[in-house]
Amino acid sequence: METGTWQFEPHTSEVRIRVEGTDLAELFEEAGYALAEVMLGESPPEPPSGAEEEHLTLEAADTEALLVDWLNELISRSDMKKRVYTHVVVDTLAERKLHARIRGFTPEVLKTAVKAATFHGLEIREHEDRFIAFIVLDV
Amino acid sequence: MEPTVEVQQQPTPRLRQVGPALYELDAGFREDMRVPARIVADEELLQKMAQDRSIVQLINVTTLPGIQGFAIGMPDMHEGYGFPVGGVAGTRLPDGVISPGGIGFDINCGVRLLSTGLRHDDVRDVIPALAHDLARSIPTGFGRHGRLALNPEQVDRVLTEGVPYVVCNLGMGTEDDLPSIESGGHLPAAAAARVSLRARERGHDQLGTLGGGNHFIELQRVDRILDAAAAKAFGLFEGQLTILIHTGSRGLGHQVCTDAVREMDRALAREGLRLVDRQLACAPFSSPEGQAYYAAMCAAANFAWSNRQVLTHRVREVFGRRLGADVWPRIVYDVAHNIAKVEEYGGQRLCVHRKGATRAFGPGNPELPEAWRQVGQPVFIPGSMGTCSFVLAGRSESRSVSFSSACHGAGRQLSRAAAKRQVVGAELRKELNARGIIVECPSNAELAEEAPTAYKDVERVVDAVETAGIARKVAKLVPLAVLKG
Repeated sequence: METGTWQFEPHTSEVRIRVEGTDLAELFEEAGYALAEVMLGESPPEPPSGAEEEHLTLEAADTEALLVDWLNELISRSDMKKRVYTHVVVDTLAERKLHARIRGFTPEVLKTAVKAATFHGLEIREHEDRFIAFIVLDV
Repeated sequence: MEPTVEVQQQPTPRLRQVGPALYELDAGFREDMRVPARIVADEELLQKMAQDRSIVQLINVTTLPGIQGFAIGMPDMHEGYGFPVGGVAGTRLPDGVISPGGIGFDINCGVRLLSTGLRHDDVRDVIPALAHDLARSIPTGFGRHGRLALNPEQVDRVLTEGVPYVVCNLGMGTEDDLPSIESGGHLPAAAAARVSLRARERGHDQLGTLGGGNHFIELQRVDRILDAAAAKAFGLFEGQLTILIHTGSRGLGHQVCTDAVREMDRALAREGLRLVDRQLACAPFSSPEGQAYYAAMCAAANFAWSNRQVLTHRVREVFGRRLGADVWPRIVYDVAHNIAKVEEYGGQRLCVHRKGATRAFGPGNPELPEAWRQVGQPVFIPGSMGTCSFVLAGRSESRSVSFSSACHGAGRQLSRAAAKRQVVGAELRKELNARGIIVECPSNAELAEEAPTAYKDVERVVDAVETAGIARKVAKLVPLAVLKG
């Protein structure tokens, strides 16, 4: 898992993340990796080679809602399957719809339990060469 | 140029004092405010609030359609999402809104205090074994489910019937427990059918689990009695061994909130409505979306009370094994601090949102058990790990001051990252051990995030609640052992 295109911003009780990507698909992938870092700490390992690949398709009201849905999908699957997803590939991402493949593993200890991704202060900004998003996670 | 995060100018200078430990910001401060913002605090706590976005978030709450009186910030208020943590709002029924963000993802996160008939001095040597046994009996690590896996019908019955089902059908506890739980551990407006399959799937094996974050079970000693008559009525005495349980509705509640925010956000978009903060997504209480969420929230609340009931059963099992079957920790009370309740104020029915705030009914309220109805409702204020907690009793004045609401804890003052920069988890563990406090927590990082310095001074917070006339102090409790998720 690569690191470095997200950073944690100040927030008194929750986790606020600033994420970058050269396109929307990469932005969403990086947001997924940032979530894994919140849950596991720095440089989480790749899942074992034989880890099950899960496919998911999401549709939302707009791109911001899609980002919230994407992270909440990862969070709820983590809770149900007792896995943290450290390998995420967003195959297709249109304005309101995405398809992705994810793989994860069950860690011994979770650094931080994440309850949900929120709309609070949510922004996706488009710049010349990249997208930047700010998102707050309830932890 | 790198984009920057804009931190809005804090409006602290315009707050005016309207009573003891009570400040208000007039509704004219911002055009979209419908009512004033009211804050329970002293000057030092106000200054701390001004250091993050909590006051701006409270002002945002004042814009909710149908809000009555004022949006209220408790003295432990700090920045959250949508509502600040420590925020209270009452909206007029039937057309005022209900907002899932005003309750939070951890629906009916709350606190339950158990008392024993034991003096700490008499069982001092057994505390390490009790703590160890509790850690073994209660799943805390990731990937560990509860010892109780429910089938779909049982999940439905927990959601619909709450604690009475856990007691009468699962055999965990006795009917004597029920009056000592807010709402008897059962909100009748619950509808299991309004809880999604995913939420039920997340919750089916989570009854009897603590979860992470700031959730805990703490063994405590009653350090000081501050109101003898009230303490006697609550069954508390100096030197007594008590147990405090803090947890909520786990993944089931998180999913209920996630589902509802998504639905309400879509409904608002369909109608072309925009809110000052999208996380304040809401719907009129009487609308189909509002009613569906309220029924699901009540079901998740029943699940949370049931979770604390199963944990109580585990605590009783451990105490029975270690100290004999006649040692039966009794529930002093169980209060929610993330919930919406329908209550009446000035002849008007309101949907009172409490996000990180505790109900604090004064003496004589018919919802309180007869045994101590004339004392006022017990309110539990856990301090940070290693400091102290308080038992308070609600006062009648709380109705007019704060829609019968008090704070819910000390309130964070440092972000988790800042806490970790200042505190090394392993050293904190040693320091607490050196003070005689046993810590059972698998993660040093999480321990550092919950360090005492990350929180405000709980004594100052409780003093503000008392000064404002919301509740009076009854007892001070100090920690002996803490089990964290």
